[in-house]
Amino acid sequence: MNLPADNIIEARGLTKRFHGFAAVSEVDLDVRRHSIHALIGPNGAGKTTFFNLITKFLAPSEGTIRYNGDDITAESPARVARRGIVRSFQISAIFPRMTVAENVRIALQRPLGTSFRFWQSESTLDRLSERVDELLDAVGLGAWRDQSAAGLPYGRKRALEFATTLALEPELMLLDEPTSGLGSEDVDRIADLIRKVSANRTILMVEHNLSVVARLADTITVLARGKVLAEGAYADVSADPRVIEAYIGGEE
Amino acid sequence: MMDLIGIPPQLLFGQLLIGLINGVFYAMMSLGVAIIFGMLRIGNFVHGAQYMLGAFGAWYLMHLPELFPGLGLPSLGYWWALALVPFAVGLIGAATERLFIRRVYDLEHAYGLLLTVGLAMVIEGLFNVTYGAAGQQYGVPDSLKGGVNLGFMFLPMYRLWVIFAGILVCVATWYVIERTKLGAYLRAATENPDLVRAFGINVPRMLMLTYAFGVGLAGLAGVMAAPIYQVSPQMGQSIIITIFAVVVIGGMGSIFGAIVTGLMLGMIEGLTKVFWPQASTTVIFVIMAIVLVFRPAGLFGKETVAAHAADISAARPHSILENGRLWIVLLGAGGIVLPFFVYPVFGMKLLCLALFACAYNLIFGYVGLLAFGHAAFYGSSAYIAAFTAASWGFPTELAILSGVAMATLLGALFGWLAIRRQGLYFAMITLALAQLVYFYVIQAPWTHGEDGIQSVPRGYLLGFIELNEPLNMYYFVLAVFLGGFALIYRIVHSPFGQVLKSIRENEPRAISLGYSTDRFKLIAFTLSAGLAGLAGGTKAIVFQIASLADVYFMTSADALLMTLIGGVGTLLGPVVGAVIVVTMQKEFATLGSWVIVVQGAAFVLCVLFLRKGVVGTLESWLSAREERRRQLDAPNARPAPSGAHR
Repeated sequence: MNLPADNIIEARGLTKRFHGFAAVSEVDLDVRRHSIHALIGPNGAGKTTFFNLITKFLAPSEGTIRYNGDDITAESPARVARRGIVRSFQISAIFPRMTVAENVRIALQRPLGTSFRFWQSESTLDRLSERVDELLDAVGLGAWRDQSAAGLPYGRKRALEFATTLALEPELMLLDEPTSGLGSEDVDRIADLIRKVSANRTILMVEHNLSVVARLADTITVLARGKVLAEGAYADVSADPRVIEAYIGGEE
Repeated sequence: MMDLIGIPPQLLFGQLLIGLINGVFYAMMSLGVAIIFGMLRIGNFVHGAQYMLGAFGAWYLMHLPELFPGLGLPSLGYWWALALVPFAVGLIGAATERLFIRRVYDLEHAYGLLLTVGLAMVIEGLFNVTYGAAGQQYGVPDSLKGGVNLGFMFLPMYRLWVIFAGILVCVATWYVIERTKLGAYLRAATENPDLVRAFGINVPRMLMLTYAFGVGLAGLAGVMAAPIYQVSPQMGQSIIITIFAVVVIGGMGSIFGAIVTGLMLGMIEGLTKVFWPQASTTVIFVIMAIVLVFRPAGLFGKETVAAHAADISAARPHSILENGRLWIVLLGAGGIVLPFFVYPVFGMKLLCLALFACAYNLIFGYVGLLAFGHAAFYGSSAYIAAFTAASWGFPTELAILSGVAMATLLGALFGWLAIRRQGLYFAMITLALAQLVYFYVIQAPWTHGEDGIQSVPRGYLLGFIELNEPLNMYYFVLAVFLGGFALIYRIVHSPFGQVLKSIRENEPRAISLGYSTDRFKLIAFTLSAGLAGLAGGTKAIVFQIASLADVYFMTSADALLMTLIGGVGTLLGPVVGAVIVVTMQKEFATLGSWVIVVQGAAFVLCVLFLRKGVVGTLESWLSAREERRRQLDAPNARPAPSGAHR
């Protein structure tokens, strides 16, 4: 195989049309292993659509996606998740009526391979408790363990979502606007968390908060009108006149 | 005259014509259902009853002098009816929307369907009380008498008129919705009501008018149908399930698809009558199943999403009412002493239906899928158990197990077909598939049609316990019930149950964690079907009969009603619901045909005022009390985030 081994994702010619309108148009994107890669761009640039394509929540109209060299273009979202690509959602994705601990445990449960065993007691899942506590402590939610997730403040919900995602030990984490809607204190905490978990894994994130991007991202890809406008380190991208034009001339 | 492929052309064209006329009615009706569903997101089950109102409206106008003697009213004929009745029925529709439908727009689809099922039961029940099952005659208008001789067949004028008028109405409606500004507003209002409201358009009124229009179409179809079919209270009930199947075949959100599919299916049905008469009642449902396999979005629909789970559970996690171990013991103890207070037969009916409701609750409450065809599983198992026990001499346990196996197989098949479609479509598909089983049972020789399979031997448990002894039978049924109840509790509280819970709470997130949620839903559906079969098979042995009522859609509705009254997604809800419904049926048995009206009213009242059911309401009360206590205990403490929401 002549693929450079240090790319975890290689998307080629990725296009998604909705009724003729191309939300994402012929995007090529490489994500380097063990990097933090940020996707930015003005509203409507196609960032979330691109995310949905990578995680297979949407089927591309054209193009291919390779993950670790394997073509995953035709796979189901659940299959892709089992390969190690785990995403978060723009609106915090938790299971509101389950307890905080159960939220994390549901992710830990999958690799056990007992999820179809309707005849077993759920007490067989107790052996996961230790790992649940570790993960909750890592995101500072240890004290909330047995509470219903719906009752958490918004920033804590995001942290819980993070812990659930981490529980799967994903090779590639896709974070859709991880700091949106958070107060500055929470933004710092989440940014630190991202930094902390990025060791030994790859992170691809859509992010509006440019200071977070500047702080975390190794590589930045700027999307505008469904196309790649620029790519590179923060200093290069932020100095690119086309990027400035897109942001200032755009609707933002 | 020559025969075509051995079929006399008179027969062929005659049936094709009948098929085309049926198709016109299917098209007009499914058009109305598709509009109401597309714009209001309401599965208008009461559409059949509204169609019947149209036919009766025409009949009333004709008989004004007899109905109101002394007022000197004239008898108004067909053309008057055609002009007045659709408006009158539409007006009734507007009132229905204002009083009932409007209250459920923002709720889960399930409630809209339940509400309209209840309304249909009330309306049809009332007409049934007044007019009985017999049909009323309504003559063809004088101006449309006679016909045209086409050489190979005689074409009555009235039928020709129905075909032209019906197609014209369909095309005009399609044009208004898809091609005019009014239609554009309508479509916009359903996509984004707030935005359209910002344009200064009165959205609620618009939705009311849309509903009234769809209902008016049903009324119009009813008037047109009056001279062809008999005007009877049942005329709508038999057509509505077919209409739902037509809408599923036509495809989501496609007005055009509903029209074309309606016409086409009517003709296919006519052709089937020529070539294979026994299959003519089922052909539409079979086509629906085939379409679902190859084009899950329907013939004219675009994209499809798998059935999405909805969280409508009324339970409070960790409540004492959810403690399965405790309640199995309490229910067991209650069950043991029950026959000292009520007749064992009543107790057994209660236990069978309670198990049926618990099985239904597994899919509706714990997975959040609105299944509406559980009668197929309950009934097919009853028939298999009855048949194997009566004709093949199977021992009792084996007969029941055969029934369970049948129900499980059917469940796997129906689930596989239905899970491909979401929300209300899931309900329509399961309903239509169950109807397929119903028609099969009517026609198959081994089920003995209207008579059912009678005199089923109760036999001996384990070969030596005489089950004709009422108490022996009763305790056997109690054991079956407790076993089923315990199994459901285990399923819900297993690793599998945890995943089900996560799917119900947030399905996209469950997928992103790597769970193939469709597979979990399918397994749950199959388990629920098998358990419904356990209830049905046991019932057949207890009452020594399997009858059409067991596979009829009202039995599916009963399961829903019990679950809803008791409390959806709660441990005890279905049991409480079964006690209420079975007691109600017993107390109201003397009311005769009023029972259906009462039951329909119970549906409507439940949807409007008791959505959480008895157990859910109790839970709210308990949780409020707990909250008050906590505040009294620690007045200065920071209020803890509440554990239960909704």
